[in-house]
Amino acid sequence: MEIKNIVKKAYDSQDKLNAFVTIIDEPKQTIDNQDSPLNGQVVAIKDNISTKDILSTGSSNALKDYVPFWDATIVKKLQDAGTILLGKTTMDELGMGATGTTSHTGIVRNPWNLDHITAGSSSGSAALVAANIVNYAIGSDTGDSVRKPAAYCGVVGFKPTYGLISRYGLFPFASSLDHIGTFAKSVKDVAILTDAIKGIDEFDMTTWDSSHINLTKATDLDVKGKKLFYIKELCDINSYDLQSDELKNTLKIFDETINKCKELGIEVEEVSIDKNLLSALFPSYLCISSAEATSNNSNLTGIIFGPRGKGSDINEIMKDHRTKGFSSLVKRRFVIGSFVLQENNKDKYFLNAQRVRRLIVDKMNELFEKYDGLILPCSEGGATKIEDLEDNNINNASILENHMVIANFGGFPSITIPNGFINDLPIGINITGKVMDDENIINIAHHIESTMNYKNQIAKGWK
Amino acid sequence: MNKELINKYANDILIDLTDEEAEKTIEELNVLDKHMTAIEKLNNIKDVEPLTHPFDLYTATLRDDIAEDGEMIENVLRNSDVVEAREIEVPKVVG
Repeated sequence: MEIKNIVKKAYDSQDKLNAFVTIIDEPKQTIDNQDSPLNGQVVAIKDNISTKDILSTGSSNALKDYVPFWDATIVKKLQDAGTILLGKTTMDELGMGATGTTSHTGIVRNPWNLDHITAGSSSGSAALVAANIVNYAIGSDTGDSVRKPAAYCGVVGFKPTYGLISRYGLFPFASSLDHIGTFAKSVKDVAILTDAIKGIDEFDMTTWDSSHINLTKATDLDVKGKKLFYIKELCDINSYDLQSDELKNTLKIFDETINKCKELGIEVEEVSIDKNLLSALFPSYLCISSAEATSNNSNLTGIIFGPRGKGSDINEIMKDHRTKGFSSLVKRRFVIGSFVLQENNKDKYFLNAQRVRRLIVDKMNELFEKYDGLILPCSEGGATKIEDLEDNNINNASILENHMVIANFGGFPSITIPNGFINDLPIGINITGKVMDDENIINIAHHIESTMNYKNQIAKGWK
Repeated sequence: MNKELINKYANDILIDLTDEEAEKTIEELNVLDKHMTAIEKLNNIKDVEPLTHPFDLYTATLRDDIAEDGEMIENVLRNSDVVEAREIEVPKVVG
């Protein structure tokens, strides 16, 4: 398709999906790289990744006019691979949110059914791949912000091992949990995209040498004899007080997927983990991420960038900017961060959260000695209806809805692939593995994908 | 947990909350407190060393100490709303 037609398609999707913050009117290919499998491919990038001379807002009023003067490392790598940047995608403000409804430019709608959420925070990236506006998109993932919207939009979302992809130029949310991730319609395509942007970077000290890793080739490997486990407390319907039809269907489809794994020659076993520890995941994530976010975003003052606040002294000016610039949810997260870092509260909240983090990461590392990966449903069902969303998402801290944060706690590679539909809305499964064993996870996911009919599927509901 | 305290924490990070936002934050902190109180009861939690990062593997190499002209002043100024000549203007801070 000619590029001008792709731009037209992007604009035409806006009133339905609202997945772009910025569409580039005349997208350009900077480098013609005939050796790259991505040469000439159009990509969309989440709006919290710095793009030189292109608006990068983090979907926040605090940065509504911010134009970076340098490119994130991955933006340069995408150019080197011959890709063409089509636009910047709508997200939950500053990455803090899980619904796709908190951007300063409005709600992102699910292309399978416009009345439903996409999940977040990489909402626009997931929606655009699902709607076939682009084949490839970039997101970021601090709790499950690539893998949850991938599940709800029926596409593949991959968050590799911490440090496989440079975060230089990513707006930091919670640095010890932040990752860049990739979206496509097949496991092979996320492998190709991830191969193009991975690598050690002198500007990000958490990156490591991954030149020996080739994710694209990993899809050619055999899976017979691989071993996966699932967590009994999350997959047994009898563990739940509230057994909705949607949850029952999710677990039934999960069982069918497990049988398909076994037909491939993958061994799958049930493992029990202390439910008290699993229940501690979400509150611990909330403490750690809010604390780090409060600190990381203290540079948003409206002085060097962002709309200048009103006031007679510097503190009043900064306070006015921050009060008007952040939405209610982001302000509340920052205050929670401020609260958990207070000297009197630090041990009970912040340090205990970090202790839980160690307990769960140690437990997973112990299990990854025996198993190649953990396989679980991504959620209790399909995407929620926008009108049914509850404002206070802390109350709704079901373990099955929040377990993917495990991969952020430990930096584990983790991928979501579609595995079915409930009420005509897609659902997904998640596979998480050992640190730096990304090839194994990609390979297993690729083979499981081959047993189902959801590879390269395109959402039709939005048209 | 009360509004006065919440507003103090908000003020510490230069944010004003509306009454409704302060009430909602209190609600959320009460839920969080319930969870964190349960976590305090996990076996031997106090003996666990807090984990601050996924794993230890950092590439900290020193770059050569070569002076460069960043040529960035004009670029930086483009994003600020209040600029005077080649500087960002703010009210007088030091008396």
